[in-house]
Amino acid sequence: MTNGEESGNRGEVSRRAFVRVALATLGGMCLAPDWITIAQAAHEAHSATAAAGDASFLTSAELADVDAMTAQIIPSDGTPGAREAGVAKFIDRALATFLSRMGAEFRTQLEAFRRAFAARHPNVASFSALPFDQQTEFLRTVERTPFFQTMRMLTVFGMFSTPSYGGNRNNVGWQLLGFEDRHIFQPPFGYYDRDYPGFSITGAPSA
Amino acid sequence: MTIARFKTSEQVDFAIVGSGAAGGVMARELSRGGFSVVLFEQGPRLTPTEFEHDELKYWYLGGITNDPEKNPQTFRSDPTQKAQRTIVKPALWYARTVGGSSLHYTANNWRFHEVDFDERSRLGAIPGTGFEDWPIRYADLEPYYTKVEWEIGVSGLAGANPFDPPRTKPYPMPPLPTKSSGVLFERGARKLGLHPFPAPLAINSQPYRGRPACIHCGFCHGFACEVTAKASTLTTMIPEAEATGRCEVRSESYVVQVEMDKRGRATGVRYFDRDNREQRQRARAVILCANGAETPRLLLMSANEMFPHGLANSSGLVGKYLMFNYTGRASGVFEHELNEYKSVQTSRVVHDFYDSDPKRGFYGGGGIDARIGPQPMVWAQRIGEEGPSWGSEYKARLAEFSRTTGIYAHGTSLPVETNNVTLDPELKDAWGMPAIRVTYRDHPDDLANATFLRDRGAEILEAAGALRVTKAPVVPSTLAVHLLGTCRMGNDPAKSVIDRYHRSHDVPNLFLCDGSSLVTSGRGQPTMTIQALAFRAAEHIANFARRGEITTPPRSA
Repeated sequence: MTNGEESGNRGEVSRRAFVRVALATLGGMCLAPDWITIAQAAHEAHSATAAAGDASFLTSAELADVDAMTAQIIPSDGTPGAREAGVAKFIDRALATFLSRMGAEFRTQLEAFRRAFAARHPNVASFSALPFDQQTEFLRTVERTPFFQTMRMLTVFGMFSTPSYGGNRNNVGWQLLGFEDRHIFQPPFGYYDRDYPGFSITGAPSA
Repeated sequence: MTIARFKTSEQVDFAIVGSGAAGGVMARELSRGGFSVVLFEQGPRLTPTEFEHDELKYWYLGGITNDPEKNPQTFRSDPTQKAQRTIVKPALWYARTVGGSSLHYTANNWRFHEVDFDERSRLGAIPGTGFEDWPIRYADLEPYYTKVEWEIGVSGLAGANPFDPPRTKPYPMPPLPTKSSGVLFERGARKLGLHPFPAPLAINSQPYRGRPACIHCGFCHGFACEVTAKASTLTTMIPEAEATGRCEVRSESYVVQVEMDKRGRATGVRYFDRDNREQRQRARAVILCANGAETPRLLLMSANEMFPHGLANSSGLVGKYLMFNYTGRASGVFEHELNEYKSVQTSRVVHDFYDSDPKRGFYGGGGIDARIGPQPMVWAQRIGEEGPSWGSEYKARLAEFSRTTGIYAHGTSLPVETNNVTLDPELKDAWGMPAIRVTYRDHPDDLANATFLRDRGAEILEAAGALRVTKAPVVPSTLAVHLLGTCRMGNDPAKSVIDRYHRSHDVPNLFLCDGSSLVTSGRGQPTMTIQALAFRAAEHIANFARRGEITTPPRSA
């Protein structure tokens, strides 16, 4: 199945769910049905965002190191992590397109990272070639650098931005959080407001 | 309805620059008052159906805000440093579209208290700062706060906050539904003997003035409301201004200079239109509502032979005394799900620590509210600054998202002259105009106050039964959305930029009204006060115009 089909199917399911909830919710609010269409448009606007396509900024060796770092930042330890979300490819595309303003600085810092790695591990081809636990150990020595902070930020972008940017594949980022991609809700929103009796100015401390 | 269209050669009554919280109110009030108005906006005009729930675009790719590529800024924490360009986000972040930041703010709409206006008299001077009383008092603004609540639309519960200043009317709508975080916050605060109250929000809890109730999508902070339940000026004031047939909204029109004549009177504005062509609009008076960053920038960019240091700057204070409102944060993880990503930002607040208390050893106070903060992507970014930031531990915290909430402690910032907006000497924007240069270092009392308030908030989370509470470190500010104090109001022309009616001391037909007008920072949530100031200023400006006192003010003014 191609990515396009995946997002089409997911979009269809999500659209039907959205309209169902929208009708129930907005019906109760006595609103004109126009608002359903409008709210739905905001919810789905990201599917119209032009996909960044195959644009690429990193060399394959750089991409492999970036991929290994994203898998350290959000590991695939039992549940999907950055790798399943397609974060490395997201970063590669982002730096070539919508985050190109960060590209030059990123490359300078990545090269410095690779040099530092080579100095520490002269007999290992690259960071990505190192076993996972040793990668973790090396990253601990650079975790406070601006480069690692940038890597962390880009990994988060790729994990949790809307899937239209190429990351957060199959919504795995949102599933990790328990975030429902629905964008229209009604109370109760969570466990604690289910039986809330209402605000009272003289309310005694509740148990 | 015929919407007005004015020729640039035609002299309109008012050119208003900036269509946000203040500019929208100003345009509506003056056009309803019978005056012709052109309302200028740098950014495009979007319809609510075009608003998107796209975190990356709206927070980092200049979605509806100033774009770090086209509208670059520089930042430094020390005036002796060379300011560095901000690459990831602009240091001062604001919406750049018709409706301005009233579109993307959280709509937390509490009023300032009486103490915010005369605190210097109560507490005395604070050395090294420009801490001053305002030239007006809470009582002067009260009728206009009421106007904001009723004419724009605020949901809330009058009498619920024992620390609230006096009010003449209740809120027009009941509060929004209480979130799980609100229930827990209320429980924790009451255990500690505090006085939680329903958050007043400029978001409809029920249909109001033709706009629907909130659908609880959760995308308030940094997003614009696609169903128009949030009361932006785009969907409240501006259509009402246009309905008069006397107001033209000119979007994608970037004003770069206030034009002056040889007598020292404003004659209109020079701007770039959407095709980057230079245009001029003649006007009898100019009103800048461009926000606390763009208003001083425009005055500085308008320097000429008669005003070599910028317009309205005989005091030398244009751009100075920039204040951010420091926000302290803490988060708490609970046993069951809260799903904070649903509905409005916050549903409970305490003002028990609002007033400054000399016993604490520093100046400051604030309000604390219950909220997780931003939506998932930005939240995931933030929690990494507060605890484990990568690896399995970080991932485990991500998985707690639906069971997490927190507190925001909105506090004071002192006016410090070396905190300011100036023109960057080198960097230019996409139109070749000087970029904003920000110089900012929090006053030590601002950080002490933020720490104090954050710790009180953390106690509320603990009292509410949080399994784990994490306090965000209080670190120096490098980013801000509250842009305050840069053209302060005052009676003394040597110590302020505008008078009590928002008229600049130096140019009689130039008025300034937005966050720049504030003398002190309040305790966050400045939009309500900015809009009340705009209603009040518009009334006075209309009266000046009717009495022929726009270009030649009476001596007593």
